[in-house]
Amino acid sequence: MWPLSFGGVATLHNTLHLNRSVDMNFSVITSQFWSLALQGLALGLIYALVSLGYTMVYGVLRLINFANSEVFMFGTFATLYIEVHFLGYDIGAPSLHGFKLVYTLAFALLASMLACAILAIIVELVAYRRLRARGANRLASLISAIGVSIFLLEGMRIITISRPMTTPRLLDKWSFGEFHGANFRIDTVMTIVAPIIIFVVLDQFVNRSRLGKSIRAVSMSEENSKLMGININRVITLTFCIGGLTTGAAAFLYTTVYENTIFNVGFNMGIAAFTAAVLGGIGNLRGAFYGGIALGMLEQFASAMLGSQWKAVTVFTVLVAVLLFKPNGLFGEAVQQTRT
Amino acid sequence: MNKKIVSGLAIAAATTLALGVVASAPANAAAKKSVTLAFQGPLTGGDAQLGQDQIPGAIYAIALYNAKNPAVKVELIKADSQCDGTVAANIAPGVAANKAVIGVIGTSCSGEARNSFPAYRAAGLTMIAPSASAVSLTDPKAPDRGFPIFHRVVAHDGFQAPALARYAAKGVTAPKFYVIDDMTTYGGPLAKGALPQAKKLGTVVGTDSVAKGTADYTSVASKVKASGANVVIYGGYTTDAAKLFKALRDGGYTGILASGDGTNTSDFPGLAGKAAEGVRLTAADVPFDKILTPAQLAEFTKITGVKVPGLYSTTAFNATNIFLDCISQGKLTRSAIQLCVNSGSFKGVGGDVIKFNRYGDIIGGAPVGGYLVKNGVIVYDSVA
Repeated sequence: MWPLSFGGVATLHNTLHLNRSVDMNFSVITSQFWSLALQGLALGLIYALVSLGYTMVYGVLRLINFANSEVFMFGTFATLYIEVHFLGYDIGAPSLHGFKLVYTLAFALLASMLACAILAIIVELVAYRRLRARGANRLASLISAIGVSIFLLEGMRIITISRPMTTPRLLDKWSFGEFHGANFRIDTVMTIVAPIIIFVVLDQFVNRSRLGKSIRAVSMSEENSKLMGININRVITLTFCIGGLTTGAAAFLYTTVYENTIFNVGFNMGIAAFTAAVLGGIGNLRGAFYGGIALGMLEQFASAMLGSQWKAVTVFTVLVAVLLFKPNGLFGEAVQQTRT
Repeated sequence: MNKKIVSGLAIAAATTLALGVVASAPANAAAKKSVTLAFQGPLTGGDAQLGQDQIPGAIYAIALYNAKNPAVKVELIKADSQCDGTVAANIAPGVAANKAVIGVIGTSCSGEARNSFPAYRAAGLTMIAPSASAVSLTDPKAPDRGFPIFHRVVAHDGFQAPALARYAAKGVTAPKFYVIDDMTTYGGPLAKGALPQAKKLGTVVGTDSVAKGTADYTSVASKVKASGANVVIYGGYTTDAAKLFKALRDGGYTGILASGDGTNTSDFPGLAGKAAEGVRLTAADVPFDKILTPAQLAEFTKITGVKVPGLYSTTAFNATNIFLDCISQGKLTRSAIQLCVNSGSFKGVGGDVIKFNRYGDIIGGAPVGGYLVKNGVIVYDSVA
């Protein structure tokens, strides 16, 4: 490890009494590559699931669903509520095993997905549909979505008096084994496998099913879809529902891995997921998937090589650099063909 | 305009003015019989326990004072900063604008103190902080110092930081330190301040700064494990410390975990779960229940509803008593309070003498205590 201080930056540090030198440590690429890659993949796939809530809605409406971050927040609290209040596991409850563990986690997962899907549909009805029906300016929908987001955020702040909450450790974090320092812990493996299954199912649904084809049709041309007899409102509601389901799955995984939540948990997650969607090419299903993974990896390696304080700087530098050369994101060129 | 109307208006105006003056006289007299102190700290939010642990000390002190039927009664109002500088910058002007408030017991956090200074300085409102410990707040050379309104009854991090390194490495042969901070006004300097002592005691194998509010600490855990560190010191607050320590234990780190008074709150063991066990914490505070007699403790519980006093109840009690001493001397204006606090000599609950230097620190400093998490409870261990 060696410190690399840039002259101008160092002067600024001295002026502001800061200590934020860049410690570039390239040795981690060799010593911790697999460990960081595994963690980056797990984190990135959570981002990818949340980014679907942005990218699918953008695909059909050409609008950013700013309330999706709060849908995620709602999902984390839904998971907590199910585990602690509905199933009665308090914070000190022992970890579960066998069939009981499987059905408890499956129940919490489905409950979180369902809660988020319902909330996403409500967001669509309240913030988008009525304004759309009255031919309102597109910006009006954007503002109404931000309004719903703030309502949900502040509502949860009041309910929880802004306090963080923890969930019981129902899933004991045992390990399958290590590979070159990468620890294949059960929660890490689950966070990788579950999103991949969800993506494969969703990809097949969008590309092969009749409803999926109608979503793609609306995303390509709303007017032509109407002429072909597609119920636009139904397709939009379905899109919000799917975004809610994937965001709910992400919320469950987040709560199971990190075992905590707070009213503003969606803020950073929303920024990360939106960044992943833009990086991959917003409106593109596979773009969200690869954008999420790329972001997760980038965060992990930037934190390890440069120090965690440079994580956000690195991520957004790379994002801007990518957009300079590929303005539609990494998978932007395929947008017209594979848009959700 | 009609002359009658003009003269009528003039009479009405004169009458109103006269009545206003007369009416304001008893109002001022009434105000002299009751003054207000404000407590500013986090009462909600991720760091709420810090403020919730302190405010009973202030409530208890004021209740004891009012019970003596003094000529001037004291009321307490609460200003919830959420330990957030941005929130503090919004609420401090409101507190300053309340003319009844003649002193601020606070702030709890260092970042919020800095952001509150402009409003309180402009209003001449004296602050006595129970726990804001960043060195810069009383550093005459620092641009964010609180002179002349800021005072604190807690030893600053220039004392706590080396004590934290000492206590973290206690009993460890050849300690290898990994020092992490949360990039806040409090956590950054605390962690940085621990480095010289850590280098004296052993080796520093790594440092990192992770922004407060980060969700994922797995990359930090990987780095710490790969570094071979056996002592991790964290400069930051409870919620993030809980997340970091969980990630470290889940990542296979088995060495010592240590943090300062920002983490030393009664909700820490609950938030960190099993990862909290054995965590070493410091605080420039003597536990209130070790100072009070059983009868006083019972009285404290009766008044505040709190069975076991939390961290910095003692300093909050001392800070409040300094204001109460001044009030009982007849200092009932903001300027009189400031003069009294700046130049006075006061007695702490532990029998210590509290006198402030020019920049608001206690002359002679204060001891730093070491605490351990045992069976889900933070217990006082020894002087750090």
